[in-house]
Amino acid sequence: MAETIKKVIPLNRVEGDLEIHVELDRDNVVVDARSVGTMYRGIENLMTGRGPLDGLVITPRICGICTTAHLSAAAKAIDMAFDAEVPDNAQRLRNVTLLVEQVQNDLRHLFLLFMPDFTAPRYAKAAWYPQALQRYQVVKGTTALEIVKQTKKVIEVIAILGGQWPHSSFIVPGGVVTVPSDNDIAQCRHIIRAFRRWYERGILGCSLERWHRVRSAADLDAWLDEDPAHRSGELGFFVKLARAAGLDRIGRSHDRFISCGGVDLPRRTAVQGHGRSQQLFPAGIYSPAGLDPFDPEKITEEIAASFFKADGAGRHPYEGRTVTDADTDDARKYSWAKAPRYDGRPAETGPLADMLVAGEPLFREMVQDQGASVFVRELARMVRAALALPAVDQWLAEMVTCETPFFQDFRKKQSTCGHGFVSAPRGFLGHWLVIEDGRIARYQIITPTTWNGSPRDGAGVRGPWEEAIMGLQVADTQHPVEVGQVVRSFDPCLVCTVHAMKL
Amino acid sequence: MPKTLYWIQGGSCGGDTWSLLNADTPDFAELLDAFSIEMLWHQTFSRMEDDVFETLNQRILSGLQPLDILCLEGSVINGPNGSGRFDMLPHGTKRDMIKALAHKARYVLAVGTCASFGGIGSDSEIMASGLQFAKWEMGGLLGRQFESPAGYPVINLPGCPCHCDVLIGTLSAIAADAPITLGHYNTPTDWYGVMVHQGCTRNEYHEYRVEEKRFGERGCMFFYMGCHGPLVTGPCNKALWNRRSSKTRVGVPCFGCTRPDFPQQYPFFETRNIEGVPIELPDGVSRAHYMAYKGMAAAAAPKRLIKRRTGI
Repeated sequence: MAETIKKVIPLNRVEGDLEIHVELDRDNVVVDARSVGTMYRGIENLMTGRGPLDGLVITPRICGICTTAHLSAAAKAIDMAFDAEVPDNAQRLRNVTLLVEQVQNDLRHLFLLFMPDFTAPRYAKAAWYPQALQRYQVVKGTTALEIVKQTKKVIEVIAILGGQWPHSSFIVPGGVVTVPSDNDIAQCRHIIRAFRRWYERGILGCSLERWHRVRSAADLDAWLDEDPAHRSGELGFFVKLARAAGLDRIGRSHDRFISCGGVDLPRRTAVQGHGRSQQLFPAGIYSPAGLDPFDPEKITEEIAASFFKADGAGRHPYEGRTVTDADTDDARKYSWAKAPRYDGRPAETGPLADMLVAGEPLFREMVQDQGASVFVRELARMVRAALALPAVDQWLAEMVTCETPFFQDFRKKQSTCGHGFVSAPRGFLGHWLVIEDGRIARYQIITPTTWNGSPRDGAGVRGPWEEAIMGLQVADTQHPVEVGQVVRSFDPCLVCTVHAMKL
Repeated sequence: MPKTLYWIQGGSCGGDTWSLLNADTPDFAELLDAFSIEMLWHQTFSRMEDDVFETLNQRILSGLQPLDILCLEGSVINGPNGSGRFDMLPHGTKRDMIKALAHKARYVLAVGTCASFGGIGSDSEIMASGLQFAKWEMGGLLGRQFESPAGYPVINLPGCPCHCDVLIGTLSAIAADAPITLGHYNTPTDWYGVMVHQGCTRNEYHEYRVEEKRFGERGCMFFYMGCHGPLVTGPCNKALWNRRSSKTRVGVPCFGCTRPDFPQQYPFFETRNIEGVPIELPDGVSRAHYMAYKGMAAAAAPKRLIKRRTGI
């Protein structure tokens, strides 16, 4: 048997802390990979016995960067449990705040957490290195500073409509608590429009309309050739760096993608969903073999490799239990994350999954030709705002002209259950809630990172980013930059993996 | 000499870090620049090779690298059963690392409610505590007697998350070697000497006891909706959030997130009461006087308030 070396790679610049355990063969090729959750926060269990609305206060605190996504999932679960109806204006306000949070997250991930790897010493001899250093150096780079400034500004929209960001609780069953004035909404529109102009100029290097005409890989190259502004903007510069560093050739995983769809369209709106769905992005399961409908009944969580007590085969989240087992002597267990599976198999979630399920031709072509990669994942994240911003502006406009309330009363039930699915910044987020005798009896959460960073399941099948590292050749085992790049391309949020790793 | 800063995260959601990025005058990068603060490490932002990071940690712990400011974001995780093993680093528990660093730093800052008092998880199996408090009780990880070489106990900056102005202001004071006045629970009085209620645009509703009973109705949320604004301190309505608003201004009750018992063990969005009067009354108020005052205030309430013709 060939000699191998084992290496533990602690990974920062993700939300939370993460350890990747890899085994390398003589050629420094990854022959085994484990995603190791090193922290357990126990959020689900502390929900038991609490008031029925307490999820609106506690669960946003799971994550400081996608706090509105958790709030929204918690509210949707209660909407369903209490049969609460959400008036159109409330839906618009929910959507605007969710999408603004998403835009903020995507840009911060890209330029504060992902791009700094291009300043690693290993690239020091590349012609583009001085410019990468000038743009992305931590707390000093020009782009990094501009991102801080612009994202700070755009989330003022959430403060105007929801009181503060992060960690507000303005979304409630039956709508939202806020009754914004016309001037509040006008202020939000000013912010969004200024942000859009900056995004076009600084990130895309072209108008949204021009970017939307890029529908194939050939279009992308033609777009790059067309104008120096396309090459010097962040998007064009990223394409250049990613190709130079070979990021379009690493990071392929199972090529099976899950999206729960989002955001929900109001009943009456000029915004059109992709594929005529009732959501801006539709739900589905995509692989190069085809698209399947999304059926939440097919979701299970397995614990074969997780530090939790066994209770048979994978359970549906409504029946799921979280019983820790820190003292196990089962050598197969290595993570505080559970392993969610769809129809018994792993699935990758996030912006790329949303784009593929929605049928965006550029991304369909890239994944059908070469499979997913670090490059294509980050590309999807970088251009997603081009689809979100026009919808945000339209919904803000409709809030003023449409005379529907922002809240509709609901009646609490003593014993009930419900779930809320949200297309969070990192993908499919689900909350499952059971209420008994007027109190929370059970709360289960599956976050996007639980999908993407999951450990092995009972059949020994690796989770998506474990699989994405397999076969990777590491150039310098002392400084395995590429392992970090592959894992970060999923935008890991370990603070979210509540059962769960702060992996 | 530039001052050095090290930011570590325990049982955390990262919210204090993202809240810090809300800062405007100055923002975090400008602060570091203006006061020559050298950020040795921040878990979310730093880019450092593993071996360099290991060396940095060893140099700090052996005293070769001076550490001026340690910021902990998130709780100290003590579970399961006091072992700390719910939060591990490659060479031991996170708890041990936090403790070792705290004994090397000239100033120790607990950023947010979890680091200050335990916060989320303090009543759970993870046995979360703060650096020098466990909920109301002094002690926590470092003990009652702990004092850093600069002559301060752990400086608590609670809030969920900690307001960016609080952190920027505290770091500015430390950078300038200016004194910091600490009040209750070792929080700086500049920001925790004011009730959340002060500056709330719904104060006129409160004054005349015009109460909100259902979401979006507009009114004071103290009597029925569980608002803690008159009960706890914090700068939410003085400094505002994201320079724009606050939870109570838009109709979200204050959840008392700066208080050592946050998150409370009784349901949110409702006020515990005796015969319609809240069990917890505004800080320092006598019950009998308060009831008489509120009865008269309600009787004197102007119609424009009762009808919500106020623009608030």
